[in-house]
Order: sequence, then structure tokens, then C-alpha cells
Amino acid sequence: MTQLKYRIKAFFGKPSNILLVVFLVTLVVLSLIPLITMLSNMFTIHLGTEKKLYRMEVGSYTLKHFQRLFAGDDWSRVNFWTPLINSFIVACGSGVLGIVIGGTVAWFITRSDLKCKSFISSVFVFPYMMPAWTLALFWTNMFQNSKVGGGNIGMVESVFGICMPEWFVYGIFPMIIVIGLHYSPFAYLLIGGILKNMDATLEESATILKASRWTIIKRITVPIVLPAILSTFLLIFSSGFSSYTVPVFLGSAVKMFTLSTKMRALIQAGYQGQGYIIAFISIVLGCLILGINQWFTGKRKSFTTVTGKSGQVSLVKLRGANWPLSVIMIIFTVFFAIVPLVSFALESIIKQPGNYALSNMTLDFWVGTEGSTYETGMISGILLNPTMWSALGRQVLLALVVAMIVGTSGMLIGYACVQRRGTKLSQAVESLAFFPYLMPAMSFGTIYLAVATSQNFKFLYGTFAILVLVASVKFLPFASRSGVNSMLQIAPEIEESAIIFGTPWVTRMTRILFPIQKSSILSGYLLPVMSVMREVALFTLLVPYARYLLTTMLFSFNETGYSQYGSAVTLLIIVVIIIINNLTNKLTGASFDKGIGG
Amino acid sequence: MKRVLSVLVVLMLVLSVSAIAMAETVEEALQAAASMSNEELYEKAKEEIAAGGQVNFYSTTSFAEKAASNFMNDYPELNGKVVYAEIDDGETYTILPSTIGSGVKDAVDMALIQNGPDLKTYLLDEGLSYSYFPEAMKDVVDEHNQEPPVITFINSLLIYHNGNGSINLNNIWQLTEPEWNGKVFFKDPTKETVNLNFLMMLTSPEWSDRLAKAYEDFYGTPFQSKEFKNAGYAWIDGFLKNVNYTYTSASKIATGIASGNPGNLGLFVFSKLRKVDEADRGNLTVVQFENEVDGFSGFMYPVYATVAYDTECPYTCALFINYLLTEAGFGGEKSWNSNQGYYSPNKTILKPEDLEDEPYEYWSTRLVFEDLDYIDENYADAYEFIAVRVG
Repeated sequence: MTQLKYRIKAFFGKPSNILLVVFLVTLVVLSLIPLITMLSNMFTIHLGTEKKLYRMEVGSYTLKHFQRLFAGDDWSRVNFWTPLINSFIVACGSGVLGIVIGGTVAWFITRSDLKCKSFISSVFVFPYMMPAWTLALFWTNMFQNSKVGGGNIGMVESVFGICMPEWFVYGIFPMIIVIGLHYSPFAYLLIGGILKNMDATLEESATILKASRWTIIKRITVPIVLPAILSTFLLIFSSGFSSYTVPVFLGSAVKMFTLSTKMRALIQAGYQGQGYIIAFISIVLGCLILGINQWFTGKRKSFTTVTGKSGQVSLVKLRGANWPLSVIMIIFTVFFAIVPLVSFALESIIKQPGNYALSNMTLDFWVGTEGSTYETGMISGILLNPTMWSALGRQVLLALVVAMIVGTSGMLIGYACVQRRGTKLSQAVESLAFFPYLMPAMSFGTIYLAVATSQNFKFLYGTFAILVLVASVKFLPFASRSGVNSMLQIAPEIEESAIIFGTPWVTRMTRILFPIQKSSILSGYLLPVMSVMREVALFTLLVPYARYLLTTMLFSFNETGYSQYGSAVTLLIIVVIIIINNLTNKLTGASFDKGIGG
Repeated sequence: MKRVLSVLVVLMLVLSVSAIAMAETVEEALQAAASMSNEELYEKAKEEIAAGGQVNFYSTTSFAEKAASNFMNDYPELNGKVVYAEIDDGETYTILPSTIGSGVKDAVDMALIQNGPDLKTYLLDEGLSYSYFPEAMKDVVDEHNQEPPVITFINSLLIYHNGNGSINLNNIWQLTEPEWNGKVFFKDPTKETVNLNFLMMLTSPEWSDRLAKAYEDFYGTPFQSKEFKNAGYAWIDGFLKNVNYTYTSASKIATGIASGNPGNLGLFVFSKLRKVDEADRGNLTVVQFENEVDGFSGFMYPVYATVAYDTECPYTCALFINYLLTEAGFGGEKSWNSNQGYYSPNKTILKPEDLEDEPYEYWSTRLVFEDLDYIDENYADAYEFIAVRVG
């Protein structure tokens, strides 16, 4: 008994163990309960269509949802197999594209002497700040033409007279491009963070040994960033797989549906059981990839790149290719980061779509009053509208509160998991922290709605607290990945030295570990800000009304055709994110992009 | 002293139990309200508001916000206590069954919602909400529009871009011909329940017979098919093959067709023409205003009022519904009646003469209407047929 007592005391004597136990309990409650709710929904009869169709009592158990969805007939082909293939292609394509673009830019920014780094670095992250579907709208605004869709003329046809083919404007190709581009800054941040902190002596040693540049990249650089690449691929794959809004705007025209659009349609049509099976399958697929990732990182144990021995990074000289590469990079960045903003600005002031003449422009959508001719759906232009300001205030507050919770939790999880790496407790917490990411936001929101309206938790429904809760759980994976990755890079000797000197845990964290990996850890705080500022699917069922948050208001505008207000709000969201980024920069010296170069 | 206290406590308990036993249920209150005058209802509503009540009402139609504002102007002591919240059609029957009866703060008290079959299935049949209809209105509203009570009808019409002149659409079967492939715009019926209900109604005996007759008129031979159950299913199959889902909302279809290729046609909410810029408005022609269409010219769906079974303000809800059924509520400033495409079930409320529109009676013989019972009974068969064809 005494021995057990001492073992328990010794176990809880380590801060990392206390953290792991606390997070294990919290995450089991916040992740597993929703999952169990969802699992039970796959086997039960729901009110409405299912009750009528199967003539069974609500709540009774059945396997009919599985039989129906996997029957192999037209129904299962249309609702499951074809969307599954489409989702898989979109997820893989956007994952690869995001890494190729983000990784390439990250390498040029951190490891080469490219010109205009600061500009490219700060502008390249813009697409990540925009809600993904607004990029989809930008794509159609640019490339729609008289030969496809409804024949509405886009900017490219207006200016250059070029009509792009249908596969370019709608369907899988633009979905991959849009989702890949949207998440490429994310790849840039994660891979760039590793590249920047990489010990230069590794490459220098290879250079001394006369290894070619390509061999160095292949044998040293890539293996070191491989865990980050895999993690990034996993995150983009999961996002692409569960993306709902982009397929809605780019797939509908060519009847190209994905699993998430089918899931929503099935739940909406009263086939909840089949809808939840689809949600579960996307989680299982995500878990498979997570397993591969765990297996790979487990095999290599850790990737220490910060050893305290060398901080000097030798930049690759691009020589004659520098200016051409810089110009290409600037054009690319400007097209996907600045042009959309210009496009949104233009769309927010034109009365008649497609007509960019001065006579067709008005500021009524920004500062119009009730008497305004073009007042549609709002009592005034968005800048004079109290509803918009309230929605904006709530969104910013939500983003900041969630960032504090998620950023701190992510850092602590990262620390605890790395300290106890290899133990079952550590693996469980790391997996649980990542798990919510694998659940499609739409179904996550639906499940939390069910929880919040149950008798025991009804005090949560329609409150700000439920939004904080759901967003904190959903966006924890970003921060925990960032935390684990950054802590993996720190050699254990650094903290061990402090322990020998008797430095308390809090001091070690705040004076040693945090400052060393400040940029990576702060990105763990900033990423949830971006995510909350542009999230809609997660909140759409939990807000008491559509105009409660700025993003739910924006999606409602875009879906129902208030494109001018939608464009104005999109611009506003990006401006707010830039302000938060700059304020963080001023206050802490870190910023969304600056941590890795620029 | 102890004895006195004990007696007092017992007395209070008895009184509380009696009060609970005697408390009027929402259903009883709505029954009582149906025969009250508006003045009497106003008095009751003031009591509810004085007791801390508030009516949170959800609506799928944005004009309801203005109607609520007009209502509070006419009943000033209720000012600020009728709170509007917009609700999306697709989320209505996820949110309402979850929140009604849960006792959550600020939960819905009443709603103005479309999709009658789901209203019946998810709310009325489950006892989560009640219908209320005032007796004073029984003479001016048709009986079938009283239960559940219809507040407004909305129509979706065949409208086309007239840049190439008339499309000469006079038989609905024309839209199933290959020449219309990709030129017909319609909101995805698996995402818009009123569109789904319209298609489902075409499979009913009444509408499949009408379509069979139109088929014979158009092709010159009687409708015969081994592949489809009836002419309704055959029409849906041909129509959905041609549909283009580029636009995700009725407003986008309206503005998209107006600024898109000449000859394109949409089946979308008539009232959305107000969203089209004036410069483009002339590009659009309503087929029915040009010629009669053999078969139908579109469809019409109701927006119903329903009162949550746990509202604390049944009389205020009743007064508001009364108001919406009158000229003041339906035809007030910037409300439904001043726009094309909204029609009151109250037959005494006429559309303004200067509006390019026709009265409800005109549309009632040319458009497809929802039948709650038919859709309720045939939902799964028809839905699966349609969903497979949407893709």
C-alpha cells in the first residue's frame, strides 16, 4: 500500500504527468461523449423520414441505415461511393498541392536569398485568413464565362476575352486548387517553422563532404521536415475531405458532390442515420492517416533540430535565377492574395454584377442608410449597421478567448507529450487532442447541438459559452500539433540543465522553453484566431440566429445572393485578422508569418 | 410559532400545487384566444409581457422582421418584446425540435416556417407546437388554409432571359427535351425542401394525370411507360437531366439569368426579381405573363405559423398571428403585399394594382400546391427517386 502511495506520489510529482491526466479526462469528456452520441445515432431510428420509412419506434436500434447506404444500388452509388471517390481525390489533391506550394515558398523564404521575402511572406498567408468559400467565389468571379454555367461573364473574359473550359471553372480541379491554396499558407507556416529552426551544421557538414545541393535537400532537409510534411498533409487532407462550403459553390454546377455535401443533404432530408455513417467513415479515414503518421513519427522517435549548438543558417544563393524566381513568386502571391481582395472590394461597390463601369458603382452597401435605393436585406450599409458591429465584436471576442484556451492547452500538451513520449498516456492524449480535427465540422456542430439541448446541458444552448467550448475542442489539434512539433525540436539536455540547477517548472517553461520556440508556440495561438475568424460550418447550428457571428452572417449573404454585402464582410474579416496579426507583432514581436522568416 | 410556520408552509404548498393544477396550458390558452377580440388579446398580451415574457419568433421570410416592427408600432406596450430571428429552411427542423421544450433561455415561442410536411412530422405530430387560427377570420380564409394556419403564399415561376426573343414555352414537357440541357436553372431540391415538395407533388395522381394529358397534347400520343410509375416520375426524370445547379439560391438564379446567356430559363421564387438590378430587369420575362403553359407554370408554397407548446406568451403569439392575417400586418409598410410573389390567404387582401402580378385565385389553377398528407405518405419513394437523379 505504501509502495503504491509512493508510486502515485512520484507519478504526480512530475508536472508532465499531471498535465497528461488533466487533459486526458477533459478530452475524454469533450471528444468521446460527442463521438459516442454520433455512434449511437448510426444505429437508431430518428423522428421523421426514418420513422415513417422503416415503421419503427424512434430510438429503436437497427442496421437498416448500413444496409441502405451500402446496398450497391443507385442510391448507394449516388449517396456514398461516387461522393467518397470525389472527396478522396479532392482531399489528396489539395493536400499535395498545399504542401508543394507551401513547402516551396517556405524553403525559398527560409533557406534561400530570394528578394522581397518580407513582402512575399506577409502576403502569402492572406488566403488562409479568408474563409475558403470566398476563394471559391473569387475563382468563379474570375473565370466564369459565356460558355459555362449560366453564361455570366467573369473578369478574365471581360478583360482578355478568354473563355476557360468548364472543368477549369467548376468541379474537382478548381476545388483542389482552392482548398490547396487556402491551406498552403498553413503548410508554409509549419514546414517553414521547422526549416528556420533547423541546425545548419547538418547541411554545412554535407557541403564540406561535397554533397550536391539536391542530395542535401533529399537526404537531410526533406527527412527533417518530413514529420511536419506528414502532419500538414494529414491536416489538409482532413480539411479537404470534410470541406462543405467549397464543394457547394464549385461542384453543384457540374453535379459533383462530395461526402460532406451528401451528409448534409441526407441529414436534412431525414436520413440522419446514413448521414452519421458518412461522418463516421470520414473520421475512420482520418484515423487511418493519423495511424500512418503516428507509425512514421514513432519510428523516427524525434527530430531534434534545436540543440543549442548552432543557430546560423546559411542561405542558398540563387544567383542569376534570383530575380526571375522572385518575380514569379510575387506574381503568384499577388494573384492569389491581393487580387481576391481587390475583387472583393470591387464586388462590394457595384450595383449590377459584371459591370465595372464607374456609373455602376455605389458605396451604399458600406455606408447606405435605410432610404438607400440599393438597401437589400439590411437596414443600412454594413458600416452603419449595429447588427454587423455586434456580430463582429462577438467573433473577435470568440477568436481571442478560444486562442487563449487552445494556444495554452496546445503548448502544455506538446510539452507533456514530448516529456512522456512513448508512454500510453502520452499517446492517448496526443491522439485525443488531434481527434476532433477528424470530425467534420458540420457533424461536430450537430452533435454539440444535441448535447446542448439535452436536459442536463440546456443552460448552454444559444450562449457564447457553447461556441467557446466547441471551437476550443475543434481547433485544439492545430495547437497541439504545433506544440508537439516545436517541443520535439528541443533537445532534452536544455531543460535537464535547468533541472540540475533546481529551476522550478514554471520558470523553465516561461524562461527557457517558451522563448526558444516562441515563433512555433505563438503560431499555436494565432492559428485558432484565423480558424475562428473564418469558421462557419461549426457554428451554423449553434448560433441563436444567422447574424449572431460575422461568418454565419457572411455565409448567409453568399448563399442567398447578397454578394455585395458578402464581399464587404469578407474584406472586413481579412482586415480584422491583419489588425490582430499586427497587434500581436507589435506586442510580442511575433506574427502569423514572421516567425519563419520574411 | 413552529406550528404556525408549519401550517403556513403546508398552505403554500397546497396553493402552489393547486395553481399548477389550474394553470392554463398553451393549448387551452390558444383555444381561448381564438374567440377573443384583438382588444382582449392585447390586454392578455400586456399581462404576459408584464410577467417578464417575450416572444422570440423565427422566420424563413425576411419581411417578417418588418411585420414585427409594424406590429409593435400598433401595439406600443409590446414594444421590443417581439424579437425576430432569421432561420434557414434547411436548419429549421434541426433547430426547432431540439430547442422547443428543452427549457433553454430565449428558445423559440413561435415560428413562420415553410415545408408543411416537415412541420407536421417534426412539430405538430410530436406535440411540440400548436396551430392557432382566429375564429373571426374563418369566413375570409379557406378552410384548408386554417390548419395549420397559412400566413403567406409564395410562388416560384418559370422566368427566362428574353435576349433572343420569346422561347415559346407553352407545354411543360418541352423542358424535358435535350435542347434544354444545361439551360434550366433550379435550386438543388435535396437542399431546398419546397422545391423537393413541388417535385413530389407531381407524382400524385392529380398532377400525374395533368402531366399525362399535357404529354399527349405535346407528343400526340398517350403517355405510356414501363420504366416510370406515372407521367409525374417521367417528367421529373427528363427535367432533372436538363437542370443546371450553378446557382445556389433563388436570388442568384434571378440575377444570374438576368445577366447571363439569352434563352436561359429558371424556375425560382418570383419575389426575387426585386434583387435584380433595374438595368437587367428588362431581360426577364415571366412565361405565364406571355402565354398559358400546358401542365403548369410553376409552384406555390405556404408559409405557416406555429406556436411552441412551452411558450410563456400564447396570447401575444395569437395577437401577432391575428395581425399577420390582416391588411395592417400583411400589407403594411415594406411588407409582403407590396412585393410581387406574396399572397395572403385572407381573400379580402388584394395585391396593389400597380404591381405586375396576379391575385392568388389566378395562380391557384396554374401552379402546383403542396398537399401535406400526400407528401407525408409518399416521401421516401419520391425522395429517393429525385435524389438519385440529382446525382
